[in-house]
Amino acid sequence: MRALARRADHQGVTQQTGRRRLAAAGLALVVTLAALLAGTGCVASRQEPGQATAAVADALAEAGSAGETARIAVGLLDEGRVTGPVADTVLLDQLRVLDDAESALTTLVPPDAASSARRTTGLDAVGDVSDAVVAARAWVAARSGGDLASHDVPASSDVLLAELATALDATDAALAEAGGP
Amino acid sequence: MKKLLGVALGILTAIGGFVDIGDLVTNAVVGSRFGMSLAWVVVLGVVGIVLFASMSGRVAAVSGRATFEIIRERLGPRAAGANLLASFAINLLTLTAEVGGIALALHLASSVEPRLWIPVAALAVWLVLWRVKFQVMENVAGLLGLLLVGFAIALFQLGPDWGELLRQAVPPSPPGTEHPASYWYYAVALFGAAMTPYEVFFFSSGAVEERWTAKDLGTNRLNVLLGFPLGGLLSLAIAACAAVVLLPAGIEVSSLSQIVLPVAQAGGVLLLAVVILGIVAATFGAALETALSSGYTLAQYLGWSWGKFRRPARAARFHLTMIVALLVAVGILMTSVDPVAVTEMSVVFSAVALPLTYVPILVVANDPAYMGRHVNGRVANALGMVYLVIVVVAAVAAIPLMIATGAGS
Repeated sequence: MRALARRADHQGVTQQTGRRRLAAAGLALVVTLAALLAGTGCVASRQEPGQATAAVADALAEAGSAGETARIAVGLLDEGRVTGPVADTVLLDQLRVLDDAESALTTLVPPDAASSARRTTGLDAVGDVSDAVVAARAWVAARSGGDLASHDVPASSDVLLAELATALDATDAALAEAGGP
Repeated sequence: MKKLLGVALGILTAIGGFVDIGDLVTNAVVGSRFGMSLAWVVVLGVVGIVLFASMSGRVAAVSGRATFEIIRERLGPRAAGANLLASFAINLLTLTAEVGGIALALHLASSVEPRLWIPVAALAVWLVLWRVKFQVMENVAGLLGLLLVGFAIALFQLGPDWGELLRQAVPPSPPGTEHPASYWYYAVALFGAAMTPYEVFFFSSGAVEERWTAKDLGTNRLNVLLGFPLGGLLSLAIAACAAVVLLPAGIEVSSLSQIVLPVAQAGGVLLLAVVILGIVAATFGAALETALSSGYTLAQYLGWSWGKFRRPARAARFHLTMIVALLVAVGILMTSVDPVAVTEMSVVFSAVALPLTYVPILVVANDPAYMGRHVNGRVANALGMVYLVIVVVAAVAAIPLMIATGAGS
């Protein structure tokens, strides 16, 4: 009987010690989290200048890839080497890529004036490529029999390809400025 | 003559069935970014899948039982359970990617939103699984998948500088514009795409479905030794098309629609139509195989009645597993997740799960209790050990490389 009571006492002490240890660990975790939050949570999101420039270059590389893809698709449709639905799908996919590139630039917080200027130039260039791809999609739709107002549709593929080339030149220039290849 | 035709059909379906959405996307992405500098990984992957598929086919033919049944018996429920969990999860991810691939290919052909095609594609897969005989299903999907040979035709029509392509491939090294970590990340992804685990589970269970015996070992060897390497050549043609047309234009492949542009440039609308049909067939065939693999692995582990040679009512849980797997795949895809991103994830996680799939096969193929005189020879074991090291290295490196490179971006 005594042995049982001693065992019960011992179990109670062990449980108490366990609870204390758990409470101490919990407290330590809370203090650590508070310290981390105090150290990092009060500062606005920011990047180093190099990181910001690299992010601009990445977005411009994506935009350049999308523009080049659109250029090939328009050229192929003009030569009758792809069907309207295929060209439309290619252009739609590229608009998604351009949307991502634009989103990456608009959500970027430039740490200095130089990065800010690069981002502005990048946004303009991506916007130009987007406009050209949107125009290309309208041209594809019109070519496939879509009933579009004539002022919304480029007169010919040559006009469209020239527009794309100008937009891609601007992208290349902005990319070179951002240290891209 | 009948036997010869059977062998030829087996080889052709092995070629046509080799390429799936993982191979398509990964090879095109790699070709557009790294040229042919990762061609060696395709060769490495093809040798690996030839080695292990022939091993698992031999196990099934000699023992009359599928690999997973023996793995559970030989390694015990715990080890086999871990294997099952990993394989089933990867399988589900691959099935999702394949159904997404069918929808993307149909979107490309029709310009109709892929989310409208996803339920249609899944329903068609289920109907075939429910109604069509195993052999018919395998042969039709495999033969139509052969249309992907359009990539090889396109490559020849593009008239590339073969010397330049060879220079990119040998000696293999990352291009100056790419970070070495990205190069190795895609090497692992490409390896995972070539050695996707579902292929061996499907292959060994298919051997049981077709009632192979030890007499069929020669046919098995021929199918694998000729069919898979020729399928690997198709993979290389896809990468080469991207390297010839997309790489010089600075285009990074991020969608299925970009992958077919070199084909359209080379062969116009006709070749493009052939290749799109080939993509639908290849992804559809792979969706059938991955859905079946989901049913096979679970049913074989739990000892349920399985197989398409049985009427669905006599293998109800096997068929129910496939239906649930298809519904999960549709559910994932309907969240608007990008199927190409799912594909990229599936090939990398396939690489992570490789040891769990291939180590047990090597163990079983060396067990005389199951294999009798058909146990692995010295060459197969030496190669198996080399590949064991490679798959472990790839599995260990996959996740750190994925994190370090931001999934190769």
